[in-house]
Formats: sequence, C-alpha cells, structure tokens
Amino acid sequence: MKRLILLLIVFQTSAFADNSGLITVPDISRVMDYPYENEEQIEPESGDLISIESVAYPRNKKAKFCIRPAEMVDTIVIHHSETSSSSTALEINDFHLNRGTASDPWYMIAYSFVINSPYEGSTIPLPKVSEGRPFDIVGGHAGSNIFVPMDDVQARLWSQKKILCGKENQKPKYDSTLVKNKKIKANVTTIGVVVNGNYSPYVLESGAINPGGYMQGEPRGPSDSTLDMIARLSCQLQKKYPRINRLAYHNQYHPTSCPGDFAANMEKIKIKAKEYGCEFNLLLKSYY
Amino acid sequence: MRIQFTAQIILLISFVCSSAFAYSDKEMQELLDSYDDVTKYHNTAIVEDVFTKNFLNENGGKEKFIEKVKSAPKQKKKKGLGLLLKKWKKSKMSKFFSAKGVDDDAKEPSPEFIIKDEDGRLKIDGTISDG
Repeated sequence: MKRLILLLIVFQTSAFADNSGLITVPDISRVMDYPYENEEQIEPESGDLISIESVAYPRNKKAKFCIRPAEMVDTIVIHHSETSSSSTALEINDFHLNRGTASDPWYMIAYSFVINSPYEGSTIPLPKVSEGRPFDIVGGHAGSNIFVPMDDVQARLWSQKKILCGKENQKPKYDSTLVKNKKIKANVTTIGVVVNGNYSPYVLESGAINPGGYMQGEPRGPSDSTLDMIARLSCQLQKKYPRINRLAYHNQYHPTSCPGDFAANMEKIKIKAKEYGCEFNLLLKSYY
Repeated sequence: MRIQFTAQIILLISFVCSSAFAYSDKEMQELLDSYDDVTKYHNTAIVEDVFTKNFLNENGGKEKFIEKVKSAPKQKKKKGLGLLLKKWKKSKMSKFFSAKGVDDDAKEPSPEFIIKDEDGRLKIDGTISDG
C-alpha cells in the first residue's frame, strides 16, 4: 500500500494536466553534460611542457557531436591548416562552422589543438598553442568515413556504450554507425593537432592548386621550433592521457596534401618527444 | 505623419543592414574569374585586386608572389572552361565568406576559397585545395 501511495506521489509530481487537457511530462532525461560554456583560462601547471590558451568558441548548438572517455584516444594526427600561418583559432572555428551545411552542420572547430608558429626565417606569428574542440568531444579531422581497428580497451569502452552522441541539452544516445565491421571511426580514437600555415607546394598542372603553397624547388619545411612545439604538446598530452602512444598525419587517413612537409618530419617529432620523456610509435601505413 | 516617418526610418535601416554584406553571385564569380586570370594566365597586374594584403604578405609580398605565379606554366585560355562558382556563403561571424569552385579543366579536387572584404572589395585570403 505504501508503495502504491509513493508511486502516486511520484506520478503527481512528474506529470500534470495543462490547460489544454493534455498531459505533459517534464523532461527528466539526463541532458548532455557540457561544462565548457564559461570555461576559465587554463593556467599552466608546474611541470607543464607548454602553455595552452583556452578559447571561448561560438558553437552551432543545432549540430550533433559525440562525447568519449579520454581512454578512447591513442593517436595524435598532425594537420596543417593551409590558411595563413597567422590565422587564429577563432578564425578556424568560424571557417569550420561555415563548412557545415543545413543538413550536416559542424558543431565547432574540428581540431583539438591549434598551433601558431612562424615559418623558418619569419618572426610572425608569435608561437602559441590554443585549445580547440575539448578533448572528450570527438573531433572531425581524420575523414568522416575512415574506420580503424580497436584495441581491447577501445572495444570494451565501445561495448559498454561509453561513446554517446547528441546535441546540447539533449539526452545523448548510442550511435551504432560509429562502428562498422568491428572497426571504429578514426575520429573517435584520435585527436587532431593543426599547425596554422601552408606547408604544401604550389602546383599548376591543369588547374591552379594551392597558390598559398611554397614555390617548387623551395620547400617550406617546418622550423625546428615548430616541431619542438608539436613534440612538447604531444608529450604533455601523453603525460596526461597515457594511452596516447602514436603519432600520425592527415594523409594517412584521407587522400590529401595535408600536412605538407610535416609528413617527412614525423621521426624528428618522435625524437624530440623522447627528449621530454615520452615514447611514441609512428603510424606506418595509410587507411585508404 | 509620425508613423509614416518611423516606417521610412525602419525601411532605411533595414536597407542599410541588408546591403552591408550584399554581395552577389556575379561578384563572386568575377573574383574566381580574376583568380583564374592570375594563376592560369599570369595576368599579374591584378594581383592586388584579387588577393588580400594578408595573403600576399604571407607569401613573401607581391613581387615574390608574382614570381611564384610565373614559376608555373602559363596556360592558354579555353572558352567555357575554368572555375565556376558552385556555392558560397557568409560566415556566421561575418568575418569572411567561403566559396567553392568547380574547375572543369582540372583533374584535381575543386578548391575552396576563403574570401574577405578588404576596403569594400571581395578578395581571396586563402584556399583549401583538398580538405
């Protein structure tokens, strides 16, 4: 009897008849947790290898995004923006918001970190690392239809439905399309680190391609300090998220000229990261 | 009388606001045509009309960029071929426009342009060749 009364009380508090006579039930579902709205500046902690600037990004709240446990991520993917080296993280965010369509809007900047660093011989822009899409939100940088194998930890987290998708202020849902033939979308297990600038050649064969690229015969190799910034950031991330153990670049996931001459410098980044106490493997194959 | 005056003011403000970024397909297409003129046909006299100051500075300045353009083979104009505007839109933050072109003459992927308003004119601030 007590249980029946309790049930009636619960029902009365959660449902009521409005003026139209329709019964409305307050939304008691768990809303997607989004703690970044009023994020404060991240202060560098002692022992950090590099300072990371926090940016308040406008986001498209109509866009779907997925959240993941940090343990899902094991790979850092290097990109170049192909824009100006002095592009800001906010500009990249604006650009990415603009790349979405009405039927497939982009949530926010697709990379997790943005690096500004001058070309060799230049003094602008000032070196800086900015936080992009928060680490626990799946990015959009490695190709939306590229699937990669899962290790045991990733397979367990997937089977436990720890990766959930939805929009802000909605109940997040399990999205079965993230996995196909026991492989998972590359964006779920990777983060994108972009270096602003254009490290690919200017090409004119049958059409003008990449006029912001370097002249043929004058490669625009990344400077040592830029490679050092990537190494510091990668190492700092590995110290915070120990499952990150691999370095890769965009062209290994998707046929693209990105990240230009960074592709030939991955070994240098790995060696520099080791100087800071971190061990990385290099991805040695392409997924296409 | 007062109502009529208020209505006129509202109409005027609406017109000013809506025309502030009222670029047309035609203007966008003209910019892409000019881009072709520079990069394919080496009409370097219009470089500063086509690319932003920021873009030229990023590429070592106007002279260095012209040198780069001329380092690639000059093409012969073919009627009906070239960059065609596929779609464009203004950014959410009104800082730039993006436009996608289709190049029937090229085997490479269609470029995507970052276009900014500089001194009241549309100019190319960057391209994304292949995402």
